[in-house]
Amino acid sequence: MAQTIEDTRVSESTAIATPWVTIVHNDPVNLMSYVTFVFRSYFGHPPAEAERLMLQVHLTGRAVVATGPREEMERHVEAMHGYGLWATLTRTDG
Amino acid sequence: MREFRLEADETVAALIELDEANVVRDLANQLTLLLTEPAEGDPALLRLLPDAYPDDAASSTEFRRYTHDSLIDRKVANASTVIETLDAATAAVDAASEEHASASLRLDRDQAIAWLTTLTDIRLTLANRLGIIEDDQRSDDVVLQDLYDWLGFVQNAIVETLES
Repeated sequence: MAQTIEDTRVSESTAIATPWVTIVHNDPVNLMSYVTFVFRSYFGHPPAEAERLMLQVHLTGRAVVATGPREEMERHVEAMHGYGLWATLTRTDG
Repeated sequence: MREFRLEADETVAALIELDEANVVRDLANQLTLLLTEPAEGDPALLRLLPDAYPDDAASSTEFRRYTHDSLIDRKVANASTVIETLDAATAAVDAASEEHASASLRLDRDQAIAWLTTLTDIRLTLANRLGIIEDDQRSDDVVLQDLYDWLGFVQNAIVETLES
């Protein structure tokens, strides 16, 4: 039990320290196969997870593809722009 | 382009007609010009290098300030890879001067990814010129629309070959 509480504290403090997300937005140009390929080759997602994220972008207009420190999210956004995907970063809370 | 296949050493191979090679080479050159000598406020460039912070102009400007040059350099290098691989493929065929001749295009994985990103940048730029802003939207410009669709076909074929 104690271990569980300690784990929870660690995860909460991590969440407070890293309130940034990378968002990929839908666009009418990029092919579904290519977006899935980018999620696989850049983020290293397994095929099913890459496909799920791609469909979320396609069907809902956007998906959070990464969470972490601001500098790391800026690197992801820059990489996505390199691939021609429309990506932004934002704080997860106000 | 036709007969896409993945060889044992993971090379993506395909046949490309000389006319097709000339079209792609010309578009890659045009993309390079757009990236290196853009017209002031060209909206296509804003799509190639979009705002990173949708609601924070100052942070977007700062982000652009320190990512712009390296992103441009990488996109130009990718376009150069496309041109170089086309030149390598067509050099042998030019001498034969056959009509409707095809060249054998061969791309290692990095070169194939350079093709994918350059085809994306070209299609993003064409979509901007064609006014395509929604899924499944078609332009009245039949020639450019056909070209845009064909580039999408080539891109999809390369992705599927890489993953085959």
